[in-house]
Amino acid sequence: MTQIQTVVSFLYYLLVAYVVVLLVWNFVRSRKWDEEILYLIVLLPFLLRLFRLK
Amino acid sequence: MKLRKLVFAVFGLLLLTTSGTSFYRSRHLEEAVVLSPGVSEVKKLGDYFEGIRGTVNDCNIYIMEGEEPGGTVFVMGGTHPEEPAARLAAWILAENAVMEAGRLIVVLSSNRSASLVTRVGGAYPPDFSIPTDWGERTFRLGDRWADPLDQWPDPEVYIHYPSGQFLAFVDIRNLNRTWPGRPDGSLTERTTHAFMELIRQEKVDLFIDLHEAELQYPVISTIVAHDRGEELAAFTSMMLSDMEFNMGMEYSPPSLHGLSHREVGDHSDAVSLLFEAPEPFLDATRGKTTREQLLTGKDEFVVKAGKAGLLFEKMDENGWPVDVRVGRHTSAVLMTMETWSELNPDRPLRCRGVPRYDEIIALGLGHWLHDPSAAPPERVEIE
Amino acid sequence: MFVYAGLVLGVMVAVYIVAKLFKLSTELSMFAAALGGALAGGFGLPPRHIAEGAMTYLDINLIFITATLFMNILKESGGVAFSVRGILKRFHRSRTLLVILLTVLLLLPGALTGAGSVTVLITGGMVAVVLQTMGVSRARTAAIVFIIAGLSAAAPPVSLWAMMTAAGVNMPYVGFFWPLLLPCVFLSLITIFLLGWKGGEIDLEKALAELPRPPEGMGWGKVFIPLLVFGALIFMGRQWPHDTPILGLPLMFSCAAATSFFLSPVKLDFLKISRETIKQLLPLIGTLTCVGVLVQIMTLTGVRGLLAVTVVTLPVALVFATLFLVLPISEAVLMWGAAPVLGVPLILLFNNIGLDPIVALAGMSVIWPLGDALPPTAIIGRLTVDVVGYRENYARFLKACIVPALIIMAVGTLMVVYSARLSFLTGL
Repeated sequence: MTQIQTVVSFLYYLLVAYVVVLLVWNFVRSRKWDEEILYLIVLLPFLLRLFRLK
Repeated sequence: MKLRKLVFAVFGLLLLTTSGTSFYRSRHLEEAVVLSPGVSEVKKLGDYFEGIRGTVNDCNIYIMEGEEPGGTVFVMGGTHPEEPAARLAAWILAENAVMEAGRLIVVLSSNRSASLVTRVGGAYPPDFSIPTDWGERTFRLGDRWADPLDQWPDPEVYIHYPSGQFLAFVDIRNLNRTWPGRPDGSLTERTTHAFMELIRQEKVDLFIDLHEAELQYPVISTIVAHDRGEELAAFTSMMLSDMEFNMGMEYSPPSLHGLSHREVGDHSDAVSLLFEAPEPFLDATRGKTTREQLLTGKDEFVVKAGKAGLLFEKMDENGWPVDVRVGRHTSAVLMTMETWSELNPDRPLRCRGVPRYDEIIALGLGHWLHDPSAAPPERVEIE
Repeated sequence: MFVYAGLVLGVMVAVYIVAKLFKLSTELSMFAAALGGALAGGFGLPPRHIAEGAMTYLDINLIFITATLFMNILKESGGVAFSVRGILKRFHRSRTLLVILLTVLLLLPGALTGAGSVTVLITGGMVAVVLQTMGVSRARTAAIVFIIAGLSAAAPPVSLWAMMTAAGVNMPYVGFFWPLLLPCVFLSLITIFLLGWKGGEIDLEKALAELPRPPEGMGWGKVFIPLLVFGALIFMGRQWPHDTPILGLPLMFSCAAATSFFLSPVKLDFLKISRETIKQLLPLIGTLTCVGVLVQIMTLTGVRGLLAVTVVTLPVALVFATLFLVLPISEAVLMWGAAPVLGVPLILLFNNIGLDPIVALAGMSVIWPLGDALPPTAIIGRLTVDVVGYRENYARFLKACIVPALIIMAVGTLMVVYSARLSFLTGL
């Protein structure tokens, strides 16, 4: 069970990585400055988790 | 537009690196323990249960063998690291206690993972320092729950083992909601299972879990006792209230599962008690969230809540300094040992070297924290 | 301390107002207010606290993203259109049954995701078409969609106001199911019957012509199997909690989304749907992230304590009497931020005076979403009028909401006042 749980945790990191890709993609495509800032603010917690900092 | 994006991205990266560095540092801040001459052995939690070996919660177990035989008492600090007086009281034991009779087992970081992270939205300082006779010692503040970096995800609802009681999803990372644990559960459940193994293998007679509570919480300045510990707790509370400070006593509710005062007593031969000291830093009505507030326990807003009759402990401009809170715990532990010895003369517990309430208030708790650089390296451990 | 926290609060409010005057979005205005508060409080621009605050709702954001992705895949595969057409064809002769089923369609997406906007976006538009073919005016249609979308967000299993407030007072998010479900269903039905009962005969042909056609091969099985997968995962976790790995809601929604994707009769562009989901959710996940930062700075500077201590020391009668106004207004300004900032002290107060915190919080949770139609944010209100295609005066839409809104306020307030007597609903 502990090993399966490790796999589940890993899937969560994959999910976060996917969301990071989507956020970055949308940030790059965005044309509005306020939207760009918001994408970066939203991106911050996902990156901190992805890099296992928080 | 590209330049604008680049500028924004640079600011974002700056925020990421500065905050990330701060989180990394606090997760890796090392805390020294200068072993008391009474410490005869330092084990790891993994020595009692393989499933926890090598994990972040494979904490140090300090064992102090007595000069004479007697009972075994296990004092646990760090269940909720955001309650620093509980950890510091255990620290004072690990650095000063010498057992004359019986055996003392001390843990400083029972949920070590929770000591590596601060609460989101809580605005906690990452650490705090205690002035000593030779300089200062810095400790991690920590949180109530294990770090999600060590246990992720949380369930949709946490169903306690073995009672089947529904608890908040986040409490699957709360060490005091996962007793008695299970060997193939989450990290926190495995940690409590390992502690249950320790209690069984070391034949612990008396288990004490140290805590602090917000003043708006009804269970405060009290001993919560398992059914088999009621007499012990009643005597201890009476003696403390008569000789040192006011201390209540409450029965562990049989229907409240996952808590140490219930489950340790139900699932082992040990008598389980839980001590609560007041910590205004935890109150939702607290003012500025600072190290100063954490250590002095002074807060005008909490005083106002007290005047409105919303608190379960007195609160005035003197606050609840950390020395007072630590002193309450060390005295309560010592008094419990004394009462235990009277009730169980065949398994006495006698300890020296540990300061009581009055002494800590007079000299400051830093007086009993020793200089790691002046101690022989083999007598210094890292938490 | 009172003067200091009061000044910081003043600066935060001022920065928020100025940001709004400069047409900044609510999310960025809150972020700016947080930065202003930190500066005024003498903390500079603290990266650790900004980042830690931003982390607060990471898991809830993941639930949002995966749940909405699931709903969007279901929509793109034609499942939602198929369901609405199916219901319309089968039940167009019985107005009563039809409105009940439309209520269920409106309640489901928000209840699963915790977001009223998801209801508006996923089923709101199509339900609006059906309502208009039933002869309901556009203003009333918009009001029905908005109010039930709000109630769907408050409905279980995911009710963010209740979850966030409960987390703030260390209270388990347990026992909320019936106290939330009963008022949400009851009030939704009252709303749809009040506003949607009057109308003409249904022109089935016209309605079907206006609704999108589902692709060939779409059937009830393809609509229900993903929902069953989600339900089965929840069931397994609850039935055999100690023999099942902990999956968490985001992974459960991801499994449902994957099932829906593989069952789709048309080939779907997964990446495109994902990108659009993120774009669609940006105001919401942005709000949650910025609320996290705002609350962290308010806690750091003592502003949260000031608000909390002020609220908990107010006369109780005054709190009861103003709840129906204070909650929607706080929602209009802070959106979900109202829950940790105002909900937490209120629940502490209610708990202290012997009320049942779960039922009281459920009562507050049904009132809160009403604020989503009010300026300065009015996110869900604006979204609703857009989706429904209502182009007239916004005030007329608000007017159409008044009667059900008053009933919701009354029910919510009574739930708070009589929460102790209603505590049996929690099942605890």
